[in-house]
Amino acid sequence: MLSSLGVHLLVGLSRAMILFIVSSGLSFVLGVLRVPNVAHGSLYMIGAFSAFTLNQVFGGGAAAFWLALLLSPFVVAGVALVAERGLFCHLYQREHLMLLLFTFALMLILGDLVKIIWGSDYRSITSPELLAGSLPILGSSFPKYNLFLLIVGPVVAVALWLFTNKTKIGKVARAAAVDREMVDAIGINVSWVFAFAFTLGCFLGGLGGALVAPTISVSLGMDHDIIIEAFLIVTIGGLGNMWGALIGSLIFGVTHSIGVLLWPQFAIVFPYLAVVIVLVWRPTGMLKSVW
Amino acid sequence: MQRGPFNWKTVWPYVAVFAALLFMPLALSRFYVYITAVIMVTALLAMSLNMVVGHGGMYQFHHAAFYGVGAYTFALVLTRTQLPAWVGFVLAPFAAAFTGLIIGWFCVRLNKLYFGMLQISLGSLIWAIAFRWYSLTGGDDGIHGIPIPDAISTISSSYYFILFVLGACIIVMYMIYRSPFGKTLQAIRDNPERCETVGIHVRGHQLFGIVIATFFAGIAGVLFVVVEGSVFPDLLFWVLSLEVFIMCLLGGWFTFAGPVLGAAITVGLRTFVGTYTEYWTLILGVILILLIFFLPEGVMGFIIDKTRGREGAGGLTDAKGRIHQ
Amino acid sequence: MLRAESINKSFDGFLAVNEANLTVERGEIVAVIGPNGAGKTTLFKLITGHLRPDDGRIIFKDEDISGLPPYEVCKKGISLSFQVVNVFSRMTVFDNVQVAVLSHQNKTRKLFSSAGKHGIEETEEILGNLGLADKAGRVSGSLSHGDQKVLEMAVALGNRPELLILDEPTAGMSPEETSETIDLIRRLNSDLGLTILFCEHDMELVFSIAHRIMVMAHGRSIIQAAPAEVRDNEEVQSAYLGGT
Repeated sequence: MLSSLGVHLLVGLSRAMILFIVSSGLSFVLGVLRVPNVAHGSLYMIGAFSAFTLNQVFGGGAAAFWLALLLSPFVVAGVALVAERGLFCHLYQREHLMLLLFTFALMLILGDLVKIIWGSDYRSITSPELLAGSLPILGSSFPKYNLFLLIVGPVVAVALWLFTNKTKIGKVARAAAVDREMVDAIGINVSWVFAFAFTLGCFLGGLGGALVAPTISVSLGMDHDIIIEAFLIVTIGGLGNMWGALIGSLIFGVTHSIGVLLWPQFAIVFPYLAVVIVLVWRPTGMLKSVW
Repeated sequence: MQRGPFNWKTVWPYVAVFAALLFMPLALSRFYVYITAVIMVTALLAMSLNMVVGHGGMYQFHHAAFYGVGAYTFALVLTRTQLPAWVGFVLAPFAAAFTGLIIGWFCVRLNKLYFGMLQISLGSLIWAIAFRWYSLTGGDDGIHGIPIPDAISTISSSYYFILFVLGACIIVMYMIYRSPFGKTLQAIRDNPERCETVGIHVRGHQLFGIVIATFFAGIAGVLFVVVEGSVFPDLLFWVLSLEVFIMCLLGGWFTFAGPVLGAAITVGLRTFVGTYTEYWTLILGVILILLIFFLPEGVMGFIIDKTRGREGAGGLTDAKGRIHQ
Repeated sequence: MLRAESINKSFDGFLAVNEANLTVERGEIVAVIGPNGAGKTTLFKLITGHLRPDDGRIIFKDEDISGLPPYEVCKKGISLSFQVVNVFSRMTVFDNVQVAVLSHQNKTRKLFSSAGKHGIEETEEILGNLGLADKAGRVSGSLSHGDQKVLEMAVALGNRPELLILDEPTAGMSPEETSETIDLIRRLNSDLGLTILFCEHDMELVFSIAHRIMVMAHGRSIIQAAPAEVRDNEEVQSAYLGGT
């Protein structure tokens, strides 16, 4: 039982890594643009579907997998940039509710675009030899791919932290999150900062989608499922706070695993309940929001 | 300055529409009667949302949760208990309002975006429970074949029932809109800080508004069951909440009856477009974008601006010369 | 009537109000003056409950109101008119004042009767007193800045306050509007018996109508006395009026 619990927790943690990558993107956009991007789930979904297609395009072997994983987030970032420069940026002077509704419209459109391009069938990607199969851990078998995720997660976290704290553009983005007028006043084009932030956030969403693709069936509806989870994670973590997204994701992943172990029928209720408890105790999130 | 709430000049369009709806089933096929009934249910839901969003300024992002609670309560009373149907009619809105009270109490402690996101969280919890509690709610499948009382079980009879309930609700909502409370809520929407300074307990009034609005959402839930005979978890899902939000925007959320127009256009278009393509969601998204860019006051807001030539209708300037929309 | 005793308030380590003291007697017009950043607006916000003092007490009509939320302070009889115009911009001028009147009459929770039946006379009276009667039907966001400042005051009067606090009432006004406002303040005090506390940068205005003046600088109250005494006070002269 204990080893089963241990493996369950590890699976939960690896799920949490995907959730973290996706929600950190959402959180970043929320922090800088102060708008929750409802379409973030759609971009995650596009990341997964792109990974599938790129995989096929490159022949389907191990190399194809890695290439697809590497390139999908850029495809997603491209889509995001087009949407942002084409339409979104014209709304920056409007009230935030309008921006949010725009992202909802984007979600509706992208959702159907995926249906048009890829159809309604389920797709799947097989992970390469290196990551297929499982390892014996704690007396139970633990999928190697999940181990891979447990490594990728922290790497992305560190990379993101370095990027936002050590690079010039990262620091500018963080400054714009706190005080966009000041950034504007010192001569930096805030609109381009937003474009960058939005693109980076969506890049992370796409990366999450590409990473998750081998573990689930890639299908329509992925956007709805992930966006609510990412929203909740960002809310309990503290709006715009990356470490908050990490903590929130861990809570989400772990409580879900506990749920699977204790009461499988209501496993999905556990994370929601945890969210409610956190929000009742700390309505604005566990960590300070960026603004 | 008119004294009473009802003024013939503003009321006659409503009376005309009501009369038209009264005679509709005689002229149109069953399918159109059914669609109109669905529009009316949706209109009530949208109107109830607009009480807190358009008139109250709150970010009510998960209104569907209360709608779903009303629908499920009614369905459960009819299918799981031996209680007479009228108990369900009465219990459902109160269940919805009670849920509104609980969730609202947590939400009004926060501002704007936090309010909305907390509500999505709490509402989603309800959805998750309904989604999984197969034995009680039918889980993913929902409950079907709900025994609606014979008197209102045919298309026509349910249509008239819904029409009269909708009519009564709109009258009550209009009275509330024009009441001192309605004015206060609009003032809270425009400037909560000023309201506090003027002696209004903003949170208390907001909560009161939420409870009233969710009560009507519960009624809409009951009407949904009457027209469809089933319930399913989608009624509690956040996507529906945002769709209803769009209806309010489409109709014009600063007007009174805008949401009715928004609901009519949305459901009508959805039905119409649905016969040609399965990509209605895409079209709805495009419509929303067009609205945001070109018609933020909504269709009815646009019409009112044009026909009444309101002063300052081109945009309101504040002391710093910024234009508000 | 109002006593603020040894009020302290800091924001993230910056001491905005430092042992400030203020007294206002019933029926007086008291002005608070001081350079920008002296803490005048902060002091007003502390009195009206928008901010909580770190230390000190605020006593109104022998009752300690320190730390009460704004809506309760209002119910006690204090009304605030903001420095930056803060009205209900989507609503008409009439509705703006009516909301305040309804709040005063405790009718804000009435659901089933028309708003057109309540508080009409009081609202019309206030609009008449302030010269806004002909603009009653206009959306307040479309008024000129000067008119919006007057509306600001009208809304504050809707609560029938005993103490009216005005934060820079003539800021941004033309000379004609300013003198009209001076007359208005005088009338409110003499005809309606309102006690008035205000802060201003316009020294002519201040010295012409204030019964007593309190001078603030760097968050401290330097002196509170009749205008002549204030004008002659050396500390005030150096801190604010620039010597001589």
